[in-house]
Amino acid sequence: MVPTMTSRTMKKVGRGGLSAPSALRRRTQRQVRFVFVVPATLFIAIFSVYPLIQLLRMSVSDVTPATLRSSWNFVGFSNFSKGFAEGTLGTVLGNTLVFVGIVTVLGLVGGLAAAISLRGSARGSGLLLGLMVFIWALPPVVNGSVWKFLLGNTGLFNSILGISGTSPVGYLYNQHLALFSVAIVNSWAVVPFNALVFRAAILNIDAEIFEAAQLDGARPFHEIRYVIMAAVRPTTLVLTVLTVVYGFRSFDFIYVMTYGGPGTVTTTLPFLSYLEAFVRFDFGLGSATAVITVVLVIVLAMVYARSVRREESEL
Amino acid sequence: MTKKRKSGKIAPAVRGLLFAAYGVPIIWIVITSLKTSNQVFNTGWGMIFFSPNISAYTKNLHGALLQAGLQSIIIATGTCALVLLIAVPAGYGLARTTGRMPTIALGALIVLQMVPQTATVIPLFQIFGSWGLLDNTVGVVIADSALLTPFAVLLLRPFFRGVPVALEESGAIDGASVWRIFRSIVLPIARNGVATTATLIFLISWGEFLYAVNFFLSPGRYPLSAVLAQQITAFGIDWPGLMALAVMTSIPILVLFVVTYKQLRDGLTLGAVK
Repeated sequence: MVPTMTSRTMKKVGRGGLSAPSALRRRTQRQVRFVFVVPATLFIAIFSVYPLIQLLRMSVSDVTPATLRSSWNFVGFSNFSKGFAEGTLGTVLGNTLVFVGIVTVLGLVGGLAAAISLRGSARGSGLLLGLMVFIWALPPVVNGSVWKFLLGNTGLFNSILGISGTSPVGYLYNQHLALFSVAIVNSWAVVPFNALVFRAAILNIDAEIFEAAQLDGARPFHEIRYVIMAAVRPTTLVLTVLTVVYGFRSFDFIYVMTYGGPGTVTTTLPFLSYLEAFVRFDFGLGSATAVITVVLVIVLAMVYARSVRREESEL
Repeated sequence: MTKKRKSGKIAPAVRGLLFAAYGVPIIWIVITSLKTSNQVFNTGWGMIFFSPNISAYTKNLHGALLQAGLQSIIIATGTCALVLLIAVPAGYGLARTTGRMPTIALGALIVLQMVPQTATVIPLFQIFGSWGLLDNTVGVVIADSALLTPFAVLLLRPFFRGVPVALEESGAIDGASVWRIFRSIVLPIARNGVATTATLIFLISWGEFLYAVNFFLSPGRYPLSAVLAQQITAFGIDWPGLMALAVMTSIPILVLFVVTYKQLRDGLTLGAVK
């Protein structure tokens, strides 16, 4: 708080020193710049905010394909209580927690490990980073298809098992394995991005710090523990929230690889809302589930905004 | 002064593991796409040694696929253009204004950027239905743009903040209008940010399939990503054909990636954290 106050006062002093017309012009120019934001504001209001209001209305209404374009009956919170009463909502919340947990932990640990192993100029480092970013840039539907094949009965993993005579493992249809398989593939997909961000943070570390650490006799492990991990701490904070959100929003790998199955084993909360609306055609129920996801997202966004602000103040 | 560092044995091991984790899937798609349906069931050395053929590709290459490819190009280019048109000025406007309004706007953008697509597809389906935008490429472009505009504004803002205010002021002293300053001073300096954003928007809208699958009422108008999503969830998958489709969907991404990699690598990290 204090630094902002000071800079603001200083600006005021500075402005007072200018001649009146110049200060006036500057202020009007600043106001004029709001015009630049107008098209985006209108577009977002119509196509992002209005749909969310509509979602909220649908969540407290009885909406089916037949009544989609007519007026809806107000049903209060019965869509929400229906979701809980059916029991799926509880199971799915559990799935979501496990899924997001795995994606976050593996995504962050994998990203940091990759960034650390790629920080030097070892042969192949540049190529490996390029390969990883390329995979990250591929459409999730492509990556999901590949993994559905690799993990399938005739896929690479089961073929290798087959050589030793083991019967195929149902990575994607065994009810104890499916959620983990999809979560691990999702982590695999987010590691390149996290590695890129961690790498930038590591490259920012002053070379002198490493030299000083080496003079003090730090071994590579100490360097990682006390220099790198300390320096990337603010980045880790921001990246943690981003990865949690990524895992939470993720539906494409689930859609492609398991479609939420077997049963509801790999259905996470956002995917449940999709299934309820577009497979069961109960738009009211799907909207209610979607409203819960949006509320959770708002909470996450608040955490994110706070951690970004903290990082900016630390810089 | 040469920096000599013992890198230890763990780092190369991690790199080897990463090479396997990210290289093998890519190699495996290409290998599978060159097999016949029967060769997919090969075990042992037959997995790797087989007589390659391109029948999976020729089988896919017909009018419908070209139509889907065209749809992908239209959707990705249209989304890219529309998003840049509204997000570039907004990113600049938010970089240069202070006070309560921009802070609220930034908070709203962060929330909107994080809303799951599965939550917006439901009301948009209803809204587009009553506005006649269902089964319409324009509708999908608008939906993709609404999805990506908050992201684009947040990504662009730090690039505009990086433009020195002094340059703008000297432009103002020379009598240039705000619009002129934006166009001929700010935009050229921030072009890397705009290019990075454009690349990302193109990549994401090229791969987007949830809106496409639900807003196009017949598969005849699907873009490539939606065709792939539809085939992968169908029963009795023809793996070589599907992998060939995956390769063909990825080739434009590969081209774009090769051209923009360096800028993407450095630009992504700036926007992501700030």
